[in-house]
Amino acid sequence: MSFFRRSVSPKSTEKLTRVFFASDFHGSERIFRKFINAAKHYEADVLVMGGDVVGKLAIPVIRESNVYYRAHLMGNTERLEGQADLQNFEDRIGTLGYYSKIMDEDEYQAIQGDATAVDRLFHDLARERLATWIELAETRLAGSGVKCFVIGGNDDDPEVLELFKTANAQSMVFCEEKEVEIDDHHTMISVGFSNRTPWKTPREVDDDDLGKMIEGLASGVADTQHAIFNFHVPPVDSTLDTCPMLDWSTNPPTQIVKGGQAVMHGAGSKAVRRAIETHQPLLSLHGHIHESGGVIKIGRTTSVNPGSEYGEGVLRGCLLTLARDEVKHYQLTAG
Amino acid sequence: MAVAAAKPEVFTRNTSGLVRVMSPYSAFIYNILTMGLIFPWTYLWAPGALPGGRLVWGILLAMIFEIPIALTYIWLSTALPRSGGDYVFQSRVFGGGVGFSVVMSGFVIWILQWVALSGWLLAYLGFAPLFLGLGGTLANPSLTAIGVWFTTPWGIIIVSILNALLAMVLLVSGFKNYVKFQYVMWYATLLSFGLMLYLFFTASPEAFAQKLDAFVVASGGGPNFYQTAIDAAKAASIDLNPPFSLLATLLIAPIAWTSLQWATYSAEQNGEIKGARSFQNQIVIILGSLIATGLLLAALAAAFQHAIGTEFLYVAGAGYWSGLDAGKFNGVYLWPNIVAMALAGSPIIVVLISLGYILNAFQIVNNCYIGMTRVMVAMSLDRLLPEWVSRVSERLHTPVNAHVAYFLASIPVILVYNLWGQWTALTLGVTFACGYVFVITALAGALMPFRAKALYDASPGAVYKFGNIPMVTVFGLIGALVGGVMVLMFMFYSALGLTSVLAYQVVFGILAVSIIWYFLAKMIQRSRGINVDFAFKEIPPE
Repeated sequence: MSFFRRSVSPKSTEKLTRVFFASDFHGSERIFRKFINAAKHYEADVLVMGGDVVGKLAIPVIRESNVYYRAHLMGNTERLEGQADLQNFEDRIGTLGYYSKIMDEDEYQAIQGDATAVDRLFHDLARERLATWIELAETRLAGSGVKCFVIGGNDDDPEVLELFKTANAQSMVFCEEKEVEIDDHHTMISVGFSNRTPWKTPREVDDDDLGKMIEGLASGVADTQHAIFNFHVPPVDSTLDTCPMLDWSTNPPTQIVKGGQAVMHGAGSKAVRRAIETHQPLLSLHGHIHESGGVIKIGRTTSVNPGSEYGEGVLRGCLLTLARDEVKHYQLTAG
Repeated sequence: MAVAAAKPEVFTRNTSGLVRVMSPYSAFIYNILTMGLIFPWTYLWAPGALPGGRLVWGILLAMIFEIPIALTYIWLSTALPRSGGDYVFQSRVFGGGVGFSVVMSGFVIWILQWVALSGWLLAYLGFAPLFLGLGGTLANPSLTAIGVWFTTPWGIIIVSILNALLAMVLLVSGFKNYVKFQYVMWYATLLSFGLMLYLFFTASPEAFAQKLDAFVVASGGGPNFYQTAIDAAKAASIDLNPPFSLLATLLIAPIAWTSLQWATYSAEQNGEIKGARSFQNQIVIILGSLIATGLLLAALAAAFQHAIGTEFLYVAGAGYWSGLDAGKFNGVYLWPNIVAMALAGSPIIVVLISLGYILNAFQIVNNCYIGMTRVMVAMSLDRLLPEWVSRVSERLHTPVNAHVAYFLASIPVILVYNLWGQWTALTLGVTFACGYVFVITALAGALMPFRAKALYDASPGAVYKFGNIPMVTVFGLIGALVGGVMVLMFMFYSALGLTSVLAYQVVFGILAVSIIWYFLAKMIQRSRGINVDFAFKEIPPE
């Protein structure tokens, strides 16, 4: 794929499929809108979203009077005056992937000391945003023939993900733990769970159990040579999973430093690596480790982690052109 | 209006987190070392080429001129805390064509000259003074002869290639190994710098004259070096007491900018800096390191002049700029470290000062690799450089190919720099070229609120305005203007060395090659079904 090598034209009769893959939106409104628009922008036939759709932070916008509000963002308390300020603030936090809710001081005080109430607030806000996303995808992709395949990640609460299953959408397909057809030649299996993390997230399991989940799906695929493995967590020690090693005993987890510098390691899954090495699918798609984007080869398998910069409003993705028997080319994008 | 809150009023949940490797303090150190407390040119080039210029003022002016550029980088870094720095900033705001052509020419290609320069610094200011100093202080001419060998073209070439090779091996073995070693380089450089300041401030020109004469004799040279050099300079019509010149003082600033323009280099590694999105952190890293280094370099200039006297400063400058043999010691220019060694007369001090120079010179070649391999990887991922450039070793977790390619590319530049006399005049070509990269990035910062509005609106700097005008626009425009003037000075003032036909051919030739490369790469990729523009073009969210 180097431009120093001669280009070999695809067989004129061969139909190529263009897949756009991105992951780890973490609630960012702007990123999701870009993702849906990516189909037209990149002339993609298929969209795949690799998990972690729910945001990490909810910001209470506290009503101080009919005109004035206050909200805490990025270490600062902002004073908001009037509807225009309020709208601008909500747009900003939507881009960052956060949720917001306008509330009185009393309501804020009541919620902030009650873990269950905070949980409920997150679920409500996340479901509300997901519902608008599904609606947007259905509207934008209607009649285009483009399918948008979606899975959850380890950060996503199962209860929130239920909304995808029950939405009865036409263009947006929740494809976790099943085999779906991408085009005439390729199928895809998907797993959104991860191996254990120090963050104790909602959907993580022991690596052996993750292996059983994957094997249960992969063993049912008739032709793994033409399959895509869409697993949220990347294969261990693959360079798609490099991040600082963390101390699991602290809350939140802290970086392990030796000799004055951070210890780096591969935080991916052994089970995912084993599955790729054993079945050698055409392509494997991953997310999870935002800072370790890249494309590698594991045997004949092209493995991708586009990384994530959802907080900066940048949609990082990978545009892949699939021929019947090979990944014709790929391109990492920052849209 | 934003004020610091006592307690965050937010709700959080358990999710995975992003942790970065480099602490803001490490990044601050990294910038100071990159600016190079040891960069020597200002101290001899300026008095030699710009009589009447005030050394200290020129350095402080360069620091002040750099401030708006540094502020613009703070906004850009907090908006786009990604590795790849200038390339990312420019390609986001102006598109891939500008980003690639400017950064490829001004950084990736021209910084190969910095690989050569760091080898030259290592040989000429590290090893040569070490052995010359030991020869002088121990009265051992054999050591002096070894020191002289390090100043010969092949001595410098061998040191330069080994320097580049060693840095490549260190970095390929893992960035963490570099970060660990950086602390050794930091403390050694600080110690060396502190010793020089102490020796200069506690000396007088009279004491210096005596000690220099004794040092030269102990190294195997003749007596009365100090007076002989002054007489020779006068005989060569060198004005040793020129009147103050404002223009000369202003022209010192671009020379000092060779060092201070690197205050923003940590931006190339933003993706690896903890809290890179924090304004406070970036202010400490970029602005803090700029001011700290500017003040230290000005202090060294003041101390140097205090120790040797203004008259002899012009003699030392004439040794460098006018090739006055009597103004050199054993063929070596009278750099501040040589002077400090002569003042100390102690082999231990010689070793300690040399160690700082050796390690800071070695750090500079590491900087070249660290910054440029990240830019090359980003360009390769954007499909503008071959795919193999961005391959990351599964075992070492580093882009080995990019490092090897950069090492191999540096060898011809090392040879040309040391074997072809005319090329030496282009030494500050790298300051000019990197300067235009910084200027265009400052312009990108100024235009970010308009050409990359979504990115700007989501950044923490979006709240800071002068009236209705974004602060980054104001700082960016001032930075581009001031930086632009300094860049143009290189093209029009022969004292800065870039006014020859050769200089124009090299400068514009490299730019032309980069532009042609961009369009060729784009065309070839299009024939393969890859649209390079997709790598930069923002998808409309509406």
